[in-house]
Amino acid sequence: MDVNFRKIDIDQYDEDALLDSELYEADPRDPAQALNEVKQKAAAVRSSLSKGDVVGALTLVLEDAPYGPNVEEAKNLNLQTLVSILNSTKATEIPGVVKALSTDAQDTLMKYLYKGMALPGWGDVSGSVLLGWHEKLTEIAGTGCIVRAMTDRRIV
Amino acid sequence: MSNVLRPYLAAVRSTLTAALTLEDFSSQVVERHNKPEVEVGASKEVLLNPLIISRNENERVLIEPSINSIRLSIKIKQADEIERILCHKFTRFMMQRAENFVVLRRKPVKVGIQPSPGVLRFIDPRVAQGYDISFLITNNHTDTMLKHKIVDFIIQFMEEVDKEISEMKLSLNARARVVAESYLTAFNV
Amino acid sequence: MAPPEVFSLSQQTPVTCHAFNADRTQVAVSLNSNEVLIYAREGNDWRVIDTLTEHDKPVTSIDWAPRSNRIVTSAQDRNAYVWQQSPDPQTGHMVWKPTLVLLRINRAATYVRWSPNEDKFAVASGARAIAICSFDPEGDWWVSRLLKKPIRSTVLSVDWHPNNVLLAAGSADMKARVFSAYIKDVDKKPAPSVWGEKLPFNTICGEYASPSGGWVHGVAFSPSGDVLAFASHDSSVTIVYPGGPAVYTIKMSILPLVTLTWTTEESVIAAGHDCQPLVFSGNQGGWELVGSLDDPQSNKSSGGARSGFAGASPVGRLNSAAFNTFRNAAERGISNVPGSPTASSSTESELFTVHQNTITSVRPYDGVPGNITRVSTSGVDGKLVVWDVSAVTPIGATGLAGKLGKMQLR
Repeated sequence: MDVNFRKIDIDQYDEDALLDSELYEADPRDPAQALNEVKQKAAAVRSSLSKGDVVGALTLVLEDAPYGPNVEEAKNLNLQTLVSILNSTKATEIPGVVKALSTDAQDTLMKYLYKGMALPGWGDVSGSVLLGWHEKLTEIAGTGCIVRAMTDRRIV
Repeated sequence: MSNVLRPYLAAVRSTLTAALTLEDFSSQVVERHNKPEVEVGASKEVLLNPLIISRNENERVLIEPSINSIRLSIKIKQADEIERILCHKFTRFMMQRAENFVVLRRKPVKVGIQPSPGVLRFIDPRVAQGYDISFLITNNHTDTMLKHKIVDFIIQFMEEVDKEISEMKLSLNARARVVAESYLTAFNV
Repeated sequence: MAPPEVFSLSQQTPVTCHAFNADRTQVAVSLNSNEVLIYAREGNDWRVIDTLTEHDKPVTSIDWAPRSNRIVTSAQDRNAYVWQQSPDPQTGHMVWKPTLVLLRINRAATYVRWSPNEDKFAVASGARAIAICSFDPEGDWWVSRLLKKPIRSTVLSVDWHPNNVLLAAGSADMKARVFSAYIKDVDKKPAPSVWGEKLPFNTICGEYASPSGGWVHGVAFSPSGDVLAFASHDSSVTIVYPGGPAVYTIKMSILPLVTLTWTTEESVIAAGHDCQPLVFSGNQGGWELVGSLDDPQSNKSSGGARSGFAGASPVGRLNSAAFNTFRNAAERGISNVPGSPTASSSTESELFTVHQNTITSVRPYDGVPGNITRVSTSGVDGKLVVWDVSAVTPIGATGLAGKLGKMQLR
């Protein structure tokens, strides 16, 4: 007897069920545009860093961060830019920098920290750097910030 | 405690505290059922983004939150073959007795074999594998037990398991040395 | 500043929900079971005087209509019952008689509230629908009409507008919505309000997404009905002025709030996973978190005096007893019977807040709508607490710092 019908996922025909694409509003930019913006930002970040303006550089990179499934390239580049800032900041400066960020920027930074830790190979990301930032950020922005990193489906 | 271990455990602690905000939630797919949504994975909107906290490539924690349950998986440090064997024996011993542990899962999550839809959609499959032990905490646990005690327990477990394995390794080596010595004395006339 | 009145209704089981009667002498609660218990107040204590057993799955919500003295209950068994007191024919005692409501939903009922005029009630459900029930005198039963579109997930809470027609609902699809629940036979035509003028059944008067994709746990209309507040799982509280149009969002640094209620037109009390009721205040110009009704700092210093009721039960304590058992077994082959846990000190495990676990419900206790003077909360720790609304401890040095202090590793 044919029992393959048992393997049909009937729930996919439930028209009320929410789909992935309906959980959040997609990034309005197309991939090429997002990548361009991120490249420009990377250049601006380098000049901010050379002036020693860490807060300015972080705000820049965390603002309008690309999100969603179609902009992988832009997302990775933005992460690299961010990591270069994180790596070049002294541990003693971190609390001051984090305090100077807006709530939204703090939320986005938290998302990037988790993204960095979830990378399979390490590349130029160091675990202790990310964990150090995570600790300071949690002290200042609280567990609410972590909760928002979980709930927000706009994955960076 | 070593310098890197402390922020690692602090990150696990704060993430776990944030994830353990559970409530009673009965299934909206099957009537009169009430089951851990993180295991079922049928309603995407009640699953949250899984988060990974890692100390280095060999030690990481995966936390998969949902509205009424979370799954926490640990990848335990295994530097060499002996540690790998010891770790396997140790986790196996506990998982066989999972019912006494209340929050322990009988098997670690193995995402590679049967991906639960939705839960791991944003995580690279390469880091979603290789966990040694998993915990499943539901709203029933947070209702009847103190939440901060559950967090303490998991953190303590993570601290102890490393210590345990390195102690076992030491005593194993010591024992091997004794055995080798007493064996070789037979030829040392 | 009167200290909060704390009652421990159960030692281990959570209080799922609570509802007081009109004069606050009795309270109906569900202790995470399929029974509804009615407690009567005796001095400073509560005694069970009645048990309502009709549901066969855990009760999710209770509401007690103050004027008509009727109780409505909802449960995960997909049913709702209306309970009415009537004299028993044999003994003459007053007993609660249940009436089953035909909800026409096929998933759990999650939340229930009487309308202000007590002639309708709304039942939220996991069937992605809200049942609006009204009494049909001809059939002598409660009939329901369903609000369905455009709800996409389980409805977690509802709240009635004071005009008896509009209904706010928060759901797990990350949206708070305002519906019209106008029923021709029951309601007079409502006066135009900021939410709209013509309001046939199932009109959507507003739809608001939570700021960072959290489930909307609690919704509440302000006393005038012109403002909507909702708490969502992304640790935020949002205040909506539809006429404004302005939406204020307060993102917090603490764990999510799940329930909220208005005390005046310009202040809201919200509580949740952070175990303490927080006070927000503001107006059309802006909103902010002003403080907490709980004072963790003073509780800490007077911990000894409080331990009378807060002596947390040892049940479920995941102290390292289990772990030690296994270590002993693994190391030395000793398998001592679990159940002989080492007497660990129970004081160190207490939180500094009055509630020791998540607060599931906050409701007005004393005062008139628009000027609530006391609120009651119930939580997973089995406690029922009555708070004086004026006793606000400013947030800052005490609350959040103390909270974050706990996050640190020992």
